[in-house]
Parts: sequence; structure tokens; C-alpha cells
Amino acid sequence: MTIECSPQELMAVFLARDFVDGEHLQVGVGLPVPEAAVRLAHMMHGPNMELVFLGARMNVAHLEYLPLPAFGWDRRVVRWAESFSDRGHRFDQVKDWSRRVFFIGGIQVDPYGNTNLIGVGDDYRQLKFRGPGSVGTPTLTTHVGRYHIVLNSHTARTFVPRCDFISTIGWNDGGADARKKLGLPGGGPKYCITPLCVMDFSEDEKRMRLRSLHPGVTLQDVQSNTGFELLIPDEVPVTELPTKEELTVLRTRVDCHGLLRSGLNRPSAEVIRE
Amino acid sequence: MAFERRHTRLIEEIAASNWLEDGMTMAIGEPAPMAMVRHIVRRGLRNLTVIGTGLALDLLIASGCVRKVISYYAGGGLGVPVAPAFRRAAEAGEIETWECEEGILTSGLEAAGKGLPYLPWRGGVGTSLPDINPDLKLISDPINGETLIAVPAIKPDLTLLHAAESDAYGNVRHCDGPGWIDLFLHRASARTIVQVEKIISNEDIRSNPWTTTIGGADAVVRMPYGAHPFYSRGYYVQDVPFVQDYFSAAMVNGAELLHFLTYYCREPETHGDYLERIGIKRLLALNEY
Repeated sequence: MTIECSPQELMAVFLARDFVDGEHLQVGVGLPVPEAAVRLAHMMHGPNMELVFLGARMNVAHLEYLPLPAFGWDRRVVRWAESFSDRGHRFDQVKDWSRRVFFIGGIQVDPYGNTNLIGVGDDYRQLKFRGPGSVGTPTLTTHVGRYHIVLNSHTARTFVPRCDFISTIGWNDGGADARKKLGLPGGGPKYCITPLCVMDFSEDEKRMRLRSLHPGVTLQDVQSNTGFELLIPDEVPVTELPTKEELTVLRTRVDCHGLLRSGLNRPSAEVIRE
Repeated sequence: MAFERRHTRLIEEIAASNWLEDGMTMAIGEPAPMAMVRHIVRRGLRNLTVIGTGLALDLLIASGCVRKVISYYAGGGLGVPVAPAFRRAAEAGEIETWECEEGILTSGLEAAGKGLPYLPWRGGVGTSLPDINPDLKLISDPINGETLIAVPAIKPDLTLLHAAESDAYGNVRHCDGPGWIDLFLHRASARTIVQVEKIISNEDIRSNPWTTTIGGADAVVRMPYGAHPFYSRGYYVQDVPFVQDYFSAAMVNGAELLHFLTYYCREPETHGDYLERIGIKRLLALNEY
């Protein structure tokens, strides 16, 4: 039996399998793939996971549907909260974030998983492209047990030998002790996931390495869209496909409007108004 | 002997608008207190330093009110990775950006609230933030010798917030948790104005003081639907198409944006005039369930 799904659905299912029951999963704004992934994991195998959406901490494993919020973070999201971590205390318990998993995007990513949300250009005073800013990613990635870099496209403009500016430190200049030398307690980036492939970081050098290719994607596709030399293992498997059950839960109980299925083409205003 | 009565902190909309001045460092909470933000545009204020995000920040930049931005995030959510007017003004060098992130911003605000020159923070160590924002100093902490960032106190002149309810004495109650940064901004700021959906009795506040999120805002203004097009928990949800319309117009940066600013921000003299332009049907359709 063949399973057909969009790259974004494949990414979400791959991520969901990475989460262990009992972990705390925090997702920020504008990252639909991780948003779907944490909901899917919570339903499939994580009844003791805690989901943290902008300071509302919740366990909603009992719900039949966990639709993606294609709206602002209004009451439809926070009504399930068991507590608000945000009552002026957002970062007052970072010492306990070793079981927390987080997700970031980026305008640029370098071979050691350092990323940039600040902007592109040689001169900070005259940026060629001004980015949105760092959000809370420097603090989150400093402290969480691990995080994943999740990108909506895979191009040589994004994967660069060196970021023009760094908003989050991955493995700095490389080496397993790179983060320790900077005094960063969190575990650093684990996977970098794109619509083409999954990458991880080599054990010693902490350099980006191809882990698996999505179905139909060639090694050449990835290499020609990556602006630096990836480590390529002798054997590169195909990214594990979703099971029928995972895909059914994802489509009918999480991504109810087919945002991931459509490859992130935005649903119409009528749909997201719901 | 005559006893003086307790002073009310409830003020009228135009009086609140007169608290806003050119050149101020103004902090904007979350959800943004849009009725007060529109007064900034209506009055054509200049040279503001704005601590804010998203549509509210972008609208003020598009209106020419802003000289300096203190922002951890200037995007508009899914589909709007970078707020358009912010991007244009930053790339053209028309505004200055005080580059930061959430933990750095809240550390600076906490330092101000606590009357300290700075507070140390770890998030951002190793990144470009201290290079591109020279106010952030890398220090060696005197206890363990670790490298940390000293974040200087950030002191807003005026903080503008939106909340669900308040009594006449500035005892404010947010519904379903305050916007994440509101309390940081209030504690750091010289003065705070809170616009609310509803004025409630002091007895109501005293019946459950645990639910008071800000005890003693400097001024309170009654602004039903005052966060529109954003949400107000307990009252209405976000007007998604309206937000999209703004960002579409701001991306093109032509007549449509000018019309948007004129029709919704500059022409309406009061919040009531604005709500008439939005229309009762549209507002009533924003119910929560």
C-alpha cells in the first residue's frame, strides 16, 4: 500500500515521533508544521505531554479535535490552559526546561545550526533584507533540552556557509563542547527539517549531516540547494513514511482545514474565520 | 471636618489622548490597545520610541510617528513574516532599531521596575545581539565568572494596555491571563493607561483580589471593542480579514494604505466614530463561540 502525503505532512509526522511522553512542547507563532506535530504526538502517544502556546500551559489529550489555530492567540486557544506561565513570569523557571522541546525557523542557517532572524546584508545599518527580529528564540534555545530547526523551503539562500547575523547559537564554530564553552545549558539543535530532507549534526564535529531524503528527492536536489557542503553518510535512507493511522489522525483531528496537506497555501479568510 | 473622597482614575478618552506626547518612549501591550494607538496616529505624533510588535507597531511606522523601535518581533504571523512598513523603514534607515529579544527585553524592563542600572541575562550570549546593539554589554559575572549580557534598564515614559475590566481606582483585571508582556511594561513604566472593555465596581474587585492583575494603573479609559482588530479575551475574537487587509495594503504601500490610515485612524475623532466605520454587524460577528 502506498501512502501519499505532502512534504509538510511528512515533516509533521517525523517530528511527532521524536517527542517522548511527558515532555513539554513549546511552539511560537508562524510555525504550522511544529504546531501540527505537537498536537499529533499528544494524541498518538503523549497523554502526559504538556503543550505550551505563548504562555498557556495545557494538556488536552482528552479532546477529539485539536485544530490548528489559524487565528490570533485569543480565547479559543487559551481556554484549555491549566495555568498561565505569563503572568509577568515568562522566564522565571528556565532552570527546569531540560524536558522542554522548542522549534525555530530562520532566514539563514549555517553548517553548525546557527540561525538568523535579524536580517541579510554586510552592514547592520543598511540591511538588504530586514528580518522580523529574534522573538524569544535566543532565550528559549539557550535553555531548552533540545530544539529543531524547521524551514518551509530549502534553498542555497537559506543554507549559507556563514550567517550574516546570528540570532540563535546552535553549535557555534562546531565541536561537541561548543555550547558548554559558551555556558549555554540547553541541549542545542537536534534536527533541521525541510521539505526536501531531514538533517542532524555529527557527534564530534556537530556539523550538519544529511539523515534522510524525503520520497522522490535526490541527493543532487539537496546538494544543489544547500550553500555549503553537507556531511553525507555512506547510506542515506528515505525519510520514514507516516502510517495510515498517523495520517488519518493528522488530517481529521489536527489539520482539519488541510493547511499542511495543501503545502501551506493559506486557507481562505472564510475558513480561518471559523 | 470635611473628608476628601478617594480620587477616581477613570478618565475620558480625549483626556487620555492628551497624555500622549511627541518624543516619548511609549510601550504597547498585547493585545495592542488599538483605540489609544489610533489616537497616536490621529494626533500625528512624531519621534516616538516604540516598544511594540506586529500590526500596532507597523501602523505607527507607516504613519510616520516612530523614530526608534524596541522590538523582539516585528512580524505579522503566518503569511506575513516581516511587518511591511517596519521592513521598508528599517532598510531605508528611516528608523533606528534597538535589537533585542524577549528575555533581554523583559530583563531591561525588570531592571527599570526594580530601580537597578541593569540585570544580567544569558539568552543571547554567543549571538550577534551584543554586536549590533552596543547598549548590551558582555560581562563576567562576579560569582562564577560566567559570561552574561548586562541589559540596561528600559524605562518607558508611558505604557498603553488593553484589559477586560477595571474599577474606577485602576484595579485592573485581565481575562484569561494578561498579555504576556503587559505586567513587565507596567512595572517598568513611569505611567500606565489601561483601556478596558468594562468598568466594574470596587466591591467586585475586593471580592477576589487574586484576580487583580494590575493594582493601581495611573489612568483607566472605557473603550468597548477597543482592541479591534485584535481580540479581547472574554469579549471578542480577532478580526482576521481586517488584519489581513491592513498587511496587504501595507505591503503595496500605495493609495490603499493611505486610505486605511485616513479612514480608520486620522478621520475618526473618537473611538465611537471608529466603531461606526467598522459597523455593528462586523463587530457582533466577532463573538467568541
